[in-house]
Amino acid sequence: MLTKLIDPQSVAVVGASPKQGSVGYVILENLATRFKGSVYPVNPKYDEVELWGRRLKFYKSVAEIPDPVDVVVIATPAPTVPKIIEEAGRRGVAAAVIISSGFAEAGNTELENWVKAVAKQYGVRILGPNCIGIYNAYTNFDTVFLPAERAGRPPPGPLALISQSGAVAAAIMDWAARRRIGLGFMANYGNKADVTEVELMEALAADDRVKVITVYVEGFKYPGEAKRFLDAVRKIAPKKPVVVYKAGRGKAAQRAVKSHTAAMAGTYEMYHGLFKQAGAIEASSVREMFDMAKALATQPTPRGGRVLVVTDSGGMGIQAVDALEALGLEVPEVPESIARELKRELLPFAAVSNPIDVTGSATDEHYKIALDALLPTAFFDMALVVTLMQVPGLTKNLAEYIIDARRYGKPIAVVNFGGSELVQKFEEALEDSGVPVYPTPDRAAKALWALYKYSEVKRGRP
Amino acid sequence: MTHPIVAKALAEGRGKLREDEALALLRAYGIPVPDYAVARDEEEAVKAAEQVGYPVAAKIISPQIVHKTDVGGVVLGIGDPQSVREACRRLREVVRRVPYAELEGVLIQRMVPKGVELIVGAVYDEIFGHVVLFGLGGIYTELYRDVSMRLAPLEPEDAWDMIREVKAYRLLTGYRGMPPRDVAAVVDVLIKFSRLVQENPEIREADLNPVIALEEGKGAYVVDARFILAVA
Repeated sequence: MLTKLIDPQSVAVVGASPKQGSVGYVILENLATRFKGSVYPVNPKYDEVELWGRRLKFYKSVAEIPDPVDVVVIATPAPTVPKIIEEAGRRGVAAAVIISSGFAEAGNTELENWVKAVAKQYGVRILGPNCIGIYNAYTNFDTVFLPAERAGRPPPGPLALISQSGAVAAAIMDWAARRRIGLGFMANYGNKADVTEVELMEALAADDRVKVITVYVEGFKYPGEAKRFLDAVRKIAPKKPVVVYKAGRGKAAQRAVKSHTAAMAGTYEMYHGLFKQAGAIEASSVREMFDMAKALATQPTPRGGRVLVVTDSGGMGIQAVDALEALGLEVPEVPESIARELKRELLPFAAVSNPIDVTGSATDEHYKIALDALLPTAFFDMALVVTLMQVPGLTKNLAEYIIDARRYGKPIAVVNFGGSELVQKFEEALEDSGVPVYPTPDRAAKALWALYKYSEVKRGRP
Repeated sequence: MTHPIVAKALAEGRGKLREDEALALLRAYGIPVPDYAVARDEEEAVKAAEQVGYPVAAKIISPQIVHKTDVGGVVLGIGDPQSVREACRRLREVVRRVPYAELEGVLIQRMVPKGVELIVGAVYDEIFGHVVLFGLGGIYTELYRDVSMRLAPLEPEDAWDMIREVKAYRLLTGYRGMPPRDVAAVVDVLIKFSRLVQENPEIREADLNPVIALEEGKGAYVVDARFILAVA
C-alpha cells in the first residue's frame, strides 16, 4: 500500500536549497514551515542555514540522516536520481517523489528505466518522475513546487484529486483554495514510471478522510491498464464515488480498419464505455467534476430520480425542469391533496404544481412551507431549490430553513446567483452547512444527476 | 485457448476467416446462426438449399472480398432450385468483376425472418484489450454511431447495460406498434461473443452484422460475421 507515500511522518528533501525561487527552495519552504512531520534537507553544499527564523541542518546525503525516513522528495538533475534512489533504498525508505524532469518525457527513456530498475531492486516505490507529486492538506505534506501565494493550498476536506497533469492539478488546487473547497489530497504522477493512478485511487479509497475521489486523466499509457482501472474502480465505487474527467476526446488518427466496429470504436468511446462499466461517474469538464464532487461529498444517496423544484422565478424553474428532464430525471406532479393545502398557505398566484413557484413576492417561510410539505413525502427523492435573493421578501434566514430540510435525508441542491453581499453570505451559510450551491439550474441539475447515478452504482447491479 | 478454426487460418497465413469458418466459430461458442452449407457448384448449391430449407440466401466465399454486400456478393430470398442456379451464376459474375478476387465457393444459408437488425463487434486495443461494441445495425450504422462499448469479458449486467444504453433500445422494446424483441437472446449473444474474442487473442476486429433480433422468445441470430486476425 501507498499509505506512507500519501501520508508520511518524516521526509527528506534531496536538492533542498536556501536559494529563493528555486524548486528546491519552494519545496523546502512548504515542508519546513508547514509540514506536521519531520523534515531533513539534503544538499552537500550546505551545513547549517538560517531560514524562516530558525537554523536548518542540511545533510550531505540521505545515508547521513540519523532517523527513519518515510519518503524522499527528489529535486536534483535527472542523472543524479538513480544514485539517490539507491541510497534511499539501502536506508529502507518506502517511497520517492521524483520532481525532476529530463526522463522519458525528454527522450531519456534509458535513464527512466534505470531509475525503475534500481527502485525495484530496493523496493522503493516511485511517484513521477516529472511531477508535482503530493499535497496532503491534513499534514501539509506538500511537494508542489509552485509558491503558495501563486498556487493556493486548499483546506482539508472530503475531496481527493488524482491528476495526470501537474499544471491542471495546481490550477485546481488554487481554485479550490480560493473557494474554500476541502480538497484533502492531490496526487500527480507525471511519467508514471511506477505508481499509477489506479494504485493512488486504491490508497485514497482506503483513507477514511476521503469521501469522493476525482480523477483527471488524459490517457492511459501501459498495456492492460484499462482492465486494472476497471477492476479497481468496480471495488471502490460502491463504497466511495469516483468522478472522472477524461480530457482529449478527439478521434484517434485514422487507422486502416476493415470492420464497421473498428471504424466506430474511437479511443474516447472506449474510455466512455470503461467508465460506465466500472461505475465511475463521468464529468465533461473540470468544473463539472467538482460540481458533482461537492454534491457527492455532502449529500445523502437518493432512492430515486424524482426531483422537487422550488423556485421564486418562473423562468429559472422552467430551466431547471428542462435540465433535469434532459438528464433523464423526473419532475413529477404534486399530488392533488397536497397541492390544495399549499394553495391555501402560499401566495394566491403561486404555482403549486412542480415546479413550485413561490413567486418574487415570496418570503423565507414560503420556501419552508413548500419543502416541509413535499420533501418528506414518498413522492420526491431530491430537491432543487432556486433562490434568487434579489427579490425584497427573502433574507439570509432562508438558508436556515433550507439547512433544516436536510433532516428529511434527501439531497438538496440550491441555485443562487448574483453579486451582492447578501447573496454571498447566504451562499456561504449554505455551503458551510453542507448544502451545495450552484450559479445556474443546469449545473445543479447535473449535480443531482450525479447523485442519482451514484445511487445506481451503490445499489449494485439489478 | 485459441480455437482450432482460428489456429488453422493463422497457420495458413490468412488474416481473415472465411464466411463458413466465421459461422462455424460462432456456433462452436453456442452463438445461434441460421443453418448453412458450402457449395462448390450449382448442383451442390441446390442440394444445400434443400438441406437447409427454403427460403435461402446465397453469399460469395472469397478471401479477397471483405465487404460482400458492397460488390453485390449476396443474393437474398431465394425460393426454388432454379433461382439457386441463377444466384450462383450471378455471384460468379460478381467475383469476376473484382480484380484478383477468387470464388472459393458459395455459402447457402437459411433466411432468417424479418427482425430488428443489430451489430455486435469487437476490436483489440493494446491498452483496453478486447472491447465489445453493440449498436443498431443496417446501412446507417456508421452514420448514427448509436453504439455502446464495454471491455471483454462481459458480465450479464454489462450486456444488459450496453443494450439499454443505445437510443435504438426502443426498437427492441416495441416501438410504434412493432412487437418487443428477444433482448435476453441478444444478451446471450453478447456474453458468448465476449468470451469468444477473449479466448482468441489473435482476433483484431470482428463484426457480427447483422444480428437479427426476432420477437420475444424466438431468439436472435447472427446472419453474417467477419473476423480479422493478427497475422504475424
